[in-house]
Amino acid sequence: MKEMSEKEIAFIGKITAGVTHEINNALASIKEISGLMEDLLSMSSTDSFPHHEKFVKVVPKIREQVERCVTLTTQLNKFSHLTDEYTAQVELNDFIGHLVFLTQRFARIKRVDLKYQPADQSVKFSTIPIQLQMAIYYCITYFLSHTDDGGKIIIHPFMNGEQYSIRIKYEGEVSDKTKLFNDSSSKEELLILQDVISSLEGSAEFDGSVQSINLIFEVRQENN
Amino acid sequence: MDEYRVLIVDDEKELVTTIAERLQIRGIQTDTATDGETALAMIEENPPQVVVLDVMMPGIGGIEILQRMNAQNIKIPVILLTGYGSTEQGTEGMELGAFDYIMKPCDLNILISKIKEAVKLYG
Repeated sequence: MKEMSEKEIAFIGKITAGVTHEINNALASIKEISGLMEDLLSMSSTDSFPHHEKFVKVVPKIREQVERCVTLTTQLNKFSHLTDEYTAQVELNDFIGHLVFLTQRFARIKRVDLKYQPADQSVKFSTIPIQLQMAIYYCITYFLSHTDDGGKIIIHPFMNGEQYSIRIKYEGEVSDKTKLFNDSSSKEELLILQDVISSLEGSAEFDGSVQSINLIFEVRQENN
Repeated sequence: MDEYRVLIVDDEKELVTTIAERLQIRGIQTDTATDGETALAMIEENPPQVVVLDVMMPGIGGIEILQRMNAQNIKIPVILLTGYGSTEQGTEGMELGAFDYIMKPCDLNILISKIKEAVKLYG
């Protein structure tokens, strides 16, 4: 597979950001229209309006779904801005929390509980945001595709002396633990991950016995 | 709240007309404009008590309207509506003298309370 250039990635980011803006405008309109329906319902009597009670129950559900969409588009917009600058300073807890939100769907399909355990302290550092998100994403999808349904994936960043680590750990059933990180189907996925980690000047440690991947990076940051 | 008169400016016609109808239900007299030029003309001809302005519009955006109001010494409180990628413009608007800014989609009750606050403060 050919790699996308920085410009192409930025282009996708720009278009996505623009579209999320438009979706947000449409959602704002839907929210107000459903609000107006609620207003009109509250002004009408049950006698004059067939199925009045049903409408009273149903219309607020439009607002709930709009709020759900607003949360999704807000996160997608934030994601699209990862490509604004090739390297940028990120706050690790916020950064991983954002990715966990975006990848929940993939975990849910496998009935896996995707958990994020924030670092005790705020850690800001300079990185290539899109690549770091990709690296963590590859770790999550690796566990999702090489483990049984169910269980839990816990992502936990932490400082370790002069390094910061991001541990992605799977707690659940694996048909054959010895194959985790070792079977032929893992090779290609792990190579892609290693490649991304190398561009970030980091390293990855795989431990089949505890079912975890540790991403390790040198500290190049302001530590709060 | 019959004493309140508001102008809402946003290029999303469906949005402004619906917000206006909801405000009117609550006794707030509301006019609408879907572009900056019309908004400026309406402000000059029949000044409202509060202007609610979308910052990102084709042509004259909310910030430019605010700048033109300042240049003409029009002292009407302005509440800016910001979206993704325009929160900085909300801050910029505050520096230019906007009363406040709210993110879209906004909560109608919050908008009403801001309108009330603005009228109270500016008289």
